[in-house]
Amino acid sequence: MSLVLIDILIATVPLMLIFASLFAFTTWLERKALARIQNRIGPNKVGIPCTRISLFGLGQPAADGIKMLFKEDIVPRGADRLFHLLAPILALIPAMLVLCFLPLEFPWTKSLLPVQAFLLDGAVIFFFAITGLNTLAVFMAGWASRNKYSLLGGMRAVAQMVSYEIPLVLSAVIVVMMVGSLNAAVIADAQTGFNWFVFSPWGFAAFVIFFIASLAETNRSPFDLPEAESEIIAGYFTEYSGFKFALFFLGEYIAMFAISGLAVTLFLGGGDGPGLANAPWLSVVWFIAKIFALIAMMIWLRGTLPRLRVDQLMGFAWKFMLPLSILNILVAGFAWHAQQQDSKTITVITWVISLAILYGTASGLNQLNRGSARPRKYKYAE
Amino acid sequence: MNEEIAFWILAAIAVLGALVAVRKRNLIHGVFALLVFFAGLSGLFLLLLAEFIAAVQVLVYIGAVGVLLLFAIMLTERVAGDDGQRMTSRRWFWGLVMAVAVFVVLLLPAIQQLPSPEAAQTIKPSVEALGKKLMDPYVVTLEVLALLLTAALIGAVTAAQGVRMPKEKDSPE
Repeated sequence: MSLVLIDILIATVPLMLIFASLFAFTTWLERKALARIQNRIGPNKVGIPCTRISLFGLGQPAADGIKMLFKEDIVPRGADRLFHLLAPILALIPAMLVLCFLPLEFPWTKSLLPVQAFLLDGAVIFFFAITGLNTLAVFMAGWASRNKYSLLGGMRAVAQMVSYEIPLVLSAVIVVMMVGSLNAAVIADAQTGFNWFVFSPWGFAAFVIFFIASLAETNRSPFDLPEAESEIIAGYFTEYSGFKFALFFLGEYIAMFAISGLAVTLFLGGGDGPGLANAPWLSVVWFIAKIFALIAMMIWLRGTLPRLRVDQLMGFAWKFMLPLSILNILVAGFAWHAQQQDSKTITVITWVISLAILYGTASGLNQLNRGSARPRKYKYAE
Repeated sequence: MNEEIAFWILAAIAVLGALVAVRKRNLIHGVFALLVFFAGLSGLFLLLLAEFIAAVQVLVYIGAVGVLLLFAIMLTERVAGDDGQRMTSRRWFWGLVMAVAVFVVLLLPAIQQLPSPEAAQTIKPSVEALGKKLMDPYVVTLEVLALLLTAALIGAVTAAQGVRMPKEKDSPE
């Protein structure tokens, strides 16, 4: 009994520590990168305490954390106290939980039973099911605050997350079809030796759809309407301060890591990379490096793209991403049958045809939607 | 032994969630209590090694049905969730009889198998077997269901757009 408990601790504590410290580093990286994009310097003062060494401001996350911890926790008088307390916790737990489903092969956890237990046959489905709970936390926060901006943010978040979950799951279906398994570890193993799914027309299309949808799922810019600071203050966490706010912040970043980790597992070969034959422990390093590549892209997009309007957001999900991802499933189905033939010419022909179909559909959908992109008519305001 | 403890904890969570869902006057609280019940049920499925059904339980009932219920409430005027009203019925006796009857009917398959059969210790790849069953003997059923759901989706879009009156075009904005 106690041995199992120790095993669970060995399996989970490093996961939490690694991702929490990555979170701290990412906040610094994001502030620094955004500052450079906007021609500012960014945090550069806080370094090692009691010395004058600033280390490019790397101490900033620690200072932020301590500040959050000591800030006053304000609960509005009209708020629903229980839900106001539960929402940040509910935002963090699913994000932390899904990290277990990622096929991260730490050298010290390989034979542990609790780790083996999470290599389920339905890991990918579990991942989507549990990340879906995030929507409820956001809604809970928006509703419990009894603030109209919070409620608006919560409603926006629910509509957005529900819409973008469909292309997200449909693009993951392609990989599941190709591998024939929902097991995350099996999917990662199927891509060893640079057979990554992103290196095929259907896989690349699916990866792009997945990445865009994951931006929307994690409320990242340009899909950050639920917390649009120029429109609705801070959206669903307007009424949160102190450590509850920090929990939301942490949950959001951990969710980013988790969904990027799933993208790496599905499309970018999991822990695959050069030098694995000599040093198997490198797979964890490659995995986290790939996650960071995706995070860097997210930061870059945040610095460069303006925020979408609500109707544009919905139109993009339903009129562009959904048809394209459904067509992509068809293409991938034909491609799978073509691959079974095991001949070079057929493979080449499949690649050319599927590239043409996907490109044609994407540009066609783009043309179709262009006609409907008129200036918005406002019903209740002028 | 451990499974038994887990079963009682999960069962308690599920029953308490269901009770709170029925008793709470606040609609939103009720919905979240219902979701707790669904989560407890999903845990029970996991305990039975039916991981796929557990995942789908979370995905469909908590992720989809729960959000749908919340949406429905937000579209009404009871956004605050608490309307202070309480439905009471003086014919509670017949309600009770009906509830017991439904309960017994639902339990019939289990009662017929008493004493309960031994649970399987391990079930080999359950998802794979399920997928093969769905794609081989039940493929027609699956396709019919898909068609039905698509029809429902299109119907919902049509209903949401409303009937377009020819007059609307001419009227000035």
